Order: sequence, then structure tokens, then C-alpha cells
Amino acid sequence: MRQLQSLLFILGFFFSGQTTASDYHEQLLLRPLHPSLLLASFNFQSNTTWASFEQQNFRYFPRSLGQILQHANTRELHLRFSLGRWDAESWGARPWGGAREGGTGVELWAWVEAETDEEADGRWLTLTNALSGLFCASLNFIDSTRTTRPVMSFQPSGGHNDSTLENLHLLHGTLPREVVCTENLTPFLKLLPCKGKAGISSLLDGHKLFDASWQSMSIDVRPICAEGETECQLQITQTIDMVLDLQRSKRPRDNPIPRPVANEELKCDTSKPYNSHDTCFPLDTAAQEEGWSLSQIFGHSLKGSCPLATDGADPVCINVPHARHVFTSAGAHEHKDPNGYLRCFELSPDGEFDLTLPDQDITEKAPLEQPLLYAERSFIGYGQESGGVQAILTNPSPTESVDFVYMESLPWFMKLYLHTLKAKINGKDKPVIQEMYYRPALDRKRGTQLEVRILIPANSTVVLTYDFEKAILRYTEYPPDANRGFDIAPAVITIGNVSIRTTSLLLPLPTPDFSMPYNVIILTSTVMALSFGFVFNLLVRRFVAVDEADQWDLRAVRLKIAAAGKRILGRFGSGKGKVENIKKVQ
Amino acid sequence: MSAKTEASEALEAEGSIVEDTATAKNQEVPANAVNVAPKKKEPPPESPASIRLRQYVIASFWAIIILVGLPIWWRTTAIYRAKLPLDQMMDWADGRACRPVFPLRISIEADALQDHEAQHLLRTTQHALDDLNEFSAHHLRLQLSQPANASVETTGLSAGAGDEEVALTIRLLPGTTTQADLQAYSPILDIQYTPNQVPSSSSSASSLANYIANTLRGLFAEEQAMIAYLLSTSSAPPERSPKALSPDVAESLARWTTRSLKYSRTYHLTFSLFTPAATPSSWDIEAALEEYMKPLLASFSEISNFTIDTQVQLYATPGVSGNVLKKEDLSGFINAAEWPLSPSIGGAPTVNFILYVGDMEVEGGGKSWLIPQWGGVVIQSDISDLRPAMLIFSNQLMSLLGAPEAGSLPLRLMTLVRVRSAGLLLKASGTMGSLARLTLALPSISIPRSVAEGVYTTIEHLRKACDGLGGKEGLENARIAEEAAEKAFFEKSMVGQVYFPDEHKVAVYLPLLGPVGVPLVMGIVKEFKAWRKRRRESR
Repeated sequence: MRQLQSLLFILGFFFSGQTTASDYHEQLLLRPLHPSLLLASFNFQSNTTWASFEQQNFRYFPRSLGQILQHANTRELHLRFSLGRWDAESWGARPWGGAREGGTGVELWAWVEAETDEEADGRWLTLTNALSGLFCASLNFIDSTRTTRPVMSFQPSGGHNDSTLENLHLLHGTLPREVVCTENLTPFLKLLPCKGKAGISSLLDGHKLFDASWQSMSIDVRPICAEGETECQLQITQTIDMVLDLQRSKRPRDNPIPRPVANEELKCDTSKPYNSHDTCFPLDTAAQEEGWSLSQIFGHSLKGSCPLATDGADPVCINVPHARHVFTSAGAHEHKDPNGYLRCFELSPDGEFDLTLPDQDITEKAPLEQPLLYAERSFIGYGQESGGVQAILTNPSPTESVDFVYMESLPWFMKLYLHTLKAKINGKDKPVIQEMYYRPALDRKRGTQLEVRILIPANSTVVLTYDFEKAILRYTEYPPDANRGFDIAPAVITIGNVSIRTTSLLLPLPTPDFSMPYNVIILTSTVMALSFGFVFNLLVRRFVAVDEADQWDLRAVRLKIAAAGKRILGRFGSGKGKVENIKKVQ
Repeated sequence: MSAKTEASEALEAEGSIVEDTATAKNQEVPANAVNVAPKKKEPPPESPASIRLRQYVIASFWAIIILVGLPIWWRTTAIYRAKLPLDQMMDWADGRACRPVFPLRISIEADALQDHEAQHLLRTTQHALDDLNEFSAHHLRLQLSQPANASVETTGLSAGAGDEEVALTIRLLPGTTTQADLQAYSPILDIQYTPNQVPSSSSSASSLANYIANTLRGLFAEEQAMIAYLLSTSSAPPERSPKALSPDVAESLARWTTRSLKYSRTYHLTFSLFTPAATPSSWDIEAALEEYMKPLLASFSEISNFTIDTQVQLYATPGVSGNVLKKEDLSGFINAAEWPLSPSIGGAPTVNFILYVGDMEVEGGGKSWLIPQWGGVVIQSDISDLRPAMLIFSNQLMSLLGAPEAGSLPLRLMTLVRVRSAGLLLKASGTMGSLARLTLALPSISIPRSVAEGVYTTIEHLRKACDGLGGKEGLENARIAEEAAEKAFFEKSMVGQVYFPDEHKVAVYLPLLGPVGVPLVMGIVKEFKAWRKRRRESR
């Protein structure tokens, strides 16, 4: 059980230790999840020497990204595009220990080298704008109100030398509202040396990726300096993780509407007394593993291996019990891990590769790794004026306590009352907050940043609550769909190398009626005109008795109009000079 | 309008009441029915004091509107328009402010000749040159080189020219045949002459002088044509531009302008290797750049700086298929959707050089072509030797930067400086003119102070550039002028006002202006009518 913990982590570290041997590495790990889901983790990693990066000779490292990093003096970069919710209760721990995923939407953090904070802000602005163009995402909307400088949650993962480390500034920004879609995948694939034309990246397809129950794309750039070596390297790691619903993915693309299973294909429990030709009680399929193949799930098979990956690692691995039948297309060699649930496949450089797992009755399942912490966060409270947030953090381990940092970055219009921050452990008030870092918001300038270090004893639940007040925004500060609410970035929970993100929240703010300014203009104008007319007429008019007033002779007016009409008709063609006279007559 | 109809309706209602009372009377006295009509009772005459009071009231309302309301409205909705030197700007645009003249100093080194012989040769050659030249803006001036300079100064031909740059040095060497030899890496022209060609001091023409003049003219013909073309395409007065260029020269010059990139102090060069499959995945580009590209770029250092990056892209399929590329296919060869050829982000224009690994050939032979203002493509099947590709890239770079095609490298670079200065000068002047016309044509756009500052900077540097035309400072000044002019012209805050039209403002004000305006106007009209009536009656 322990050795299986974080399978991806082991794989990842195994290859990252080998990085100097080869410049490019790619691997796909498939892990069936319950019920009838499949986690596919794509990992692409390439290295370049620091010298060739500085000289801008790009081989495996993408030129477009390299230029941006140099231009913005960015030493380490982490960019995430995520969608959906990881169901930790039934899917277990997150892939890569949560280190390769971000909150819903887009998340970016980077270590920028700069002398002063202002310079760092300027470079951060350059970086976000350039990345925005490269990835077709609204990253340029990460302005000062969405940028924080976390103190406890993030640590540089790369090997920076001490001199640069002093001048590094960590900046972190989130865009929870951003919808990740195909236009973000295309530039992502362009950064890969094999570009989705060969190797495991040929499986990636926007239709399938963004149809997943949960998906996360990540790009990490970090320098690595091996001990004793003088030359450092720059490593770019791109990962895509997705949880696919097998039945949903298997639907043919030309006929995607789900239809009921035909009668003759239904598997019925024949032991039921009411079972007959038109009555069926479906058999329990828990023991039945659903069959699938790569080409069914991803729409097409894998187009050979990427010839650049020469590190000898098998490009495709699957995490199933050895008893499960797995068939591959010809030309592929299987390597089984003798004491685990892992088997890997070596592919032929050309020729298609497909992996087929048939329907099989098997009770043995590859064990799931238990997460270190369960976290959920929701709004409490009511009304348009104020509200509250409650985060429930559960340590499932019966023996070990967990020490973690909980970080919130809230927008300025969600005004946090710090004195209401309370942490209850198993329903009792006990001091569990070890350390706290709080940076209050400034209206329209920056958001709230809250980092809390909490220690949860074994088998306990901590409920963290705080209240906030909703600010009233200016008329132009509302987005076009103001009634949808405002997305609040997920909280980031850091436990050493493992990180967990809660879901994002949707905050409804008091929304004005947007036709209001025009109504106000018209109403005020009417009131002003009424009072003005009243005063003016009082001053100007002469008041006489009813029988003394000028009388409106309707017939005379009618006659006058008729005469004028006749005259107009008569003189219509005779020139414009007479129009004036007609007007006077009217 | 609505107020008026309401009033009339109200009056109508009153009228009907009066009629009702009349009909009631009629019922009482039916015999008199024909004669009885609703008779209006005259109100008592108004006192002059109340009439005056009413007039004062209306006058004071209007006075407040005109004296307070309108100025406030005017001040609060006025658009800031900085004052621009429109006349000066138009002068620059029409070429009245600057007459671009390129005096080129050519030094003659004639150690083998006697001093007076050299002087005489100089004079006759200058005459011959002046006779040949039809284009006053481009002028070649001869001088004797330094050792003989003391005596030259007295002739007045090159007075005060000692500090100016010498464009070309002619070395006259005695020999057996007459021939000219342009040195490849320095601006020196060796001319060999036979002893009998040395002109005697009495003759006014000599074959050597004619020969030198013709050679020089040949050398600078392309530059002359370029500058002439630039002047003819600008809005300079027609008498300034030379007589029409021949159609084929004009066509090649038009191609030259479409081909060459906009001048910039820094260019970014991107060398990309594209392969249709997975191999080859590396190339020895560093050494090749060091050997073939860096020396060329170093010689450009006074005109432009260069930054370089390289990349390798595998699995790159071109936009067209087939082994023989037709001429019309060439524009579609670059697969812009898939090939990562994004421009560099530093602000410097990017020049792309693409080496495509393949066996393709352009219809009619050739494996390389140039994409105007963008870069060049070379197709090569074997990339173990990058020399041929690099040589082609160097050539392509020269033409993309706008250098002339003939002549030795130093001469081409110097020509480039002059042509670029002229081009930038004309462009900045043209932009000034456009800005001036725009200012006059759109009175509703705002002109922020930064635009005015940009215009003054431009004019200042244009003047400096015009004074020092032909040298490196002239180029630098022209570049600053052009940059400032473009910045001023494309000022963002100017455009915003165009989309806030007067109709919009009226629509917002109308709910107030309508109901308030109608009683005011009606009051003044009524009062005017009453006044006229009173005057008529009193008469």
C-alpha cells in the first residue's frame, strides 16, 4: 500500500532524476477509477541547457515561451488551466500529489527577478500580457487586484543560485472565471516537440479533453542545478490530467445522443420472480469491469512513439491488477512491474498503437491512495449585505496529524472581518491556528490575502469560518452577466509537496437595475421640468376669469388647417420661397 | 410639441364648457337661438407695470440661460485641443521646410600626379560630373585627399569639408590600361590610367576625367534612382523630383520598397529549421551563425543592431503539397496556422529565416525565395553543411533591409544610411501632414498635450535630420522624428472622442431640455406676439 502511494510521484521522480541523460521524456499513465472512469495523465518533459537558453538557441524548449521568460526576467513559472472538480471521496488522492493542478479557471505563479517590488510588478504585467497572447487566455486580466504575494504557501522548486534567490519575487494570480477550452489546448500542443503528430500527444483532442469530468493542464518551467555540476539546466514540464467517463467517451462522435440499451442486450437478474420478456431487473455490475480501448476513448489510436524521447522510458503505462486482460496492437512490448499493479508498454516508432481492455468479471482492483486531507469550502449566511465562508478540513488518517497552510485570496469587494475567523476542531473551540499572515484589501487596488497554518490531529475535522461584507460596486464595474455572480478563487492548501485546491465559489453581489441611469435621468428631468414649468408659468402667465380667457375655436382651426393644406398642395411645385409663408399661416 | 397639444386640449375642454352653458341658455330662449353665439368677455386691460414685470421675468430667465447655462455647458463639454503648429506641419509635408540634399564627398588620391595636374583633373572631372547629373538633390563633390588639401582649399571646391565624411576615395594609379577596380571591403576605387590620359593644363576636357565621371555615375546610379523614387512617391512638389524614371527602373524600385522592412534600430532574426518528419532534429546553427552571419551583422552595427534566436520544429507540414512548387504556391508555403513563428515580443521587428528540409523545388529551378517584409525561405535536403543556406540568408537579409543590389559592401551600407534617412524623413513629414489634415478635418477629436509634444519633437528632429542628411546622425534624428510622429499620430485618446457623437449627448439631455425649453420658447414667442399686437394697436 505504501509503495503504491503516489504512483505518479514515483514515476515522476524516477525520470526527473534521469533528466540529464535525455533531453525529452514523455509518458502516459492510465488509471481506471471507480465507477467506470479513467484517469489519463500525460506528462511531457524537456530540458535545455542554461547557456543555449540564454543564447536563444531553442531545440526542445519552445521558443515562444522562452522569449517571454527572458523578456519578463522570469526564473520559474507555473501555469495551470483547470476545469471540473476532483472527487476525492471516490477517486482518492490527486495525481502528482496535486502539484500539477490549479484551481478552476487559470492560475499562474512565477518567481520574477527584479530589484524592487515596482519592477517586479512591471515584469509581472509583461509576463501576464505575453502569456495571454500565447495561450489565448484572458491572463491579461490578472491585475493588481488579482495578484498576491504568498508568503507561506509556495516555495521555489527549482535550483536557483543564492544571488538570484535574493532578488526573486513570487507573484500569484488567479482567474476563476476563465473557461478553459480548445483555444488553450492548441497553443499548449504547439509547445511540444512532437506537436500532437506522434507519440502520446497524438491522443489529445479538444473534444475529448474538455468533455472530461475533471481536467487540468499545467506548464512548469524551473531551473535545475545538479549537485557538483557547474552548468544548470532549464526544465519545462507540461502535463495534462483528465478523468474521462468511459461510457460518455465511448459514444460515437457522429451519433452522440445517448439511447437506451436494446432489450436483448440488457443483462437481467433472472432470479427475480417478476423477470420476464418485458420486465428486467439489471444485474449488479460492480464485479464487472467495463471494457474499453484507447481508440474508443480518445477517438483514434496512438500514432507511434515520439522519436525524440530516447530516455528508454516506456511511453504508455496502465495501473490495473495483473489479472486484468490487456491486449495491445502488434509491435508493442509489455513490461510488468512484478510487485505492483503497473505495467508499461514499449511502442514501435511507427505504426499505430491501441490498447484494449475487454469486459471482464474481476473483483481485484488496483488500490486507491488515500488523500492526506479532505477539504471543502462553501458559503454560509444569507442576505445581500453580508455572508460567511466555511471550510471543512478533515484529516482521515487514524494515526498522523497534518500540518498545512490554508491560503485564501479574496477579491476586494468581499470584505473579510478577521475577528470573526474561527477554527473549531471536532465542534470544540481549541487553538489549532499555528501561524497567520493577513494582508487586508484596499478598495479597487488589491485583494485580501490570508494564509493560515493549521495543525489537525489525527482523525479530526477542523471547521474554519469567517464572515465578510459585500461591497457595492460601481455601475461600470459589473460584468455583462452581473446576475450570475462573481467567482471567488479556490483556497489553496499546501501540505509540504502535496497541494489541494477547493472548488471555486460563486458570490452573488447586490446587482443594480442597469437601466437605472436612464430612468434616473428621465425621472429627474421630468421632476425638474414640472417644477420649472410650474414656477415659470406662475411668473409669466396672466390669470383671468374663465369667461375672459382666449377661446380655442376648433372649427376655425380646422378651417385654417384645411386652407393651409390646399395652399401647400397648390404651391408645392412653385418653389421653396413660399414654404416660409405657409409656415407662418400654420 | 406634446406640451402644445396638451394646452390646446385643455383649451378645447374649456371651450366645450362654455358651449355647454350657451346651449343651456339656448334651451331657455329657443326663439333667439340663431343670434346667440358664445360671446367672449374681454379681460380688464393689463397695467404697463405688470407687462414690464413679465418681460423682465422672461428676460431674466433667458439671461441666466445664456450667460450662465451656456458657458457652463460649453466649458464642461469642451474637448481639449492642444495647439499644433499646423503651418509648419504642412510645410514639412509639402516639402517646403526641407530640401533633401545629399552632398557626397569623393576624395581623389593622386600621388603620382603633379599638384597642378591633379587640380586640373579635379576641375574637369567635376565639370563632367555636373554635366551628367540631372538630379540636384544628389550631388557628388570631388576633393583632393589630405596631402594635397592645403592647395585645394584655395579653390573653394571643398572649403570647410575637412570634417565631413568622405564617401569614396579614388586612388589614381598609373598603369598600362584604363580600368576601374572597386575594393570589396573598403570604400576605395582604384582607377588605373595610361600616362597619355593625363590632361594637359590647357585642354578643358580629358578622357580620364570623363572616364572617372562615368564610373562614379555608374556607381551611384542605383542610389540616385532610389532617392529619386522616394522623392517622387512623397508629396514633395513636383519640380523637386527629377524627371520621370524609366518604367522598368520604377517597377524594380517599387518592388524594392514593398520588399524592405521598416527601419528600426534593432531587428530580431529568427532562424528556424522545419522538418516534415522527426529527423533531423538538430542542426549546427551556432557555428554557422558565428561564421557566416555575425561578421555581416557586425558591419551593420552602425545602422541597426540585431538579436538572434533559433528553433527546431519537427513534424511541420507546409501549407502546400507537391514536389514542385508553383510560383503562386510560394505565398502559401508558410503554414501560418501551425508553425510557431510568432514575432518576438521585445518590440523589434522580426525577420524570419526558414530552412525547410525537403526535396522540393520551385517551378523553373531554385530552392529559395524571399517573402517581402517578413523573411526568407530556403529548401535544402541535406543540412550537414549550412554554408549555402547561410549565404542565401545573408543575401536575403541585405535586400530585406533595403540595401542596394550593386556595389561593394561598404558602399551599399553607406547608401543604405542615406536612403533610409531620406525615407524616414519623408515618412515623418508625411505623417505630420496627415496629422495636420486630420486635426482640421475632425474638429470633434481631442488633441492631448502629448500629441503636441510629439509634434514639436518631430519637427525639431526633422530639422536636425535635414541639416545632417547623409550621415549617421541624420539617420538617428530621422528615426527619432519618425517614431515621435507615429506615436503622435496613433495617440489612443484621440480616437475615443470620435465615438462619442453629438447626437448621443442630445439624446441624454433631451428629457430635460425638451420640457424646460418648450415653456421658455413659448413664453418668448407669446410675449413677442403680444408686443407686436400692442404696437400695431398703439399706431
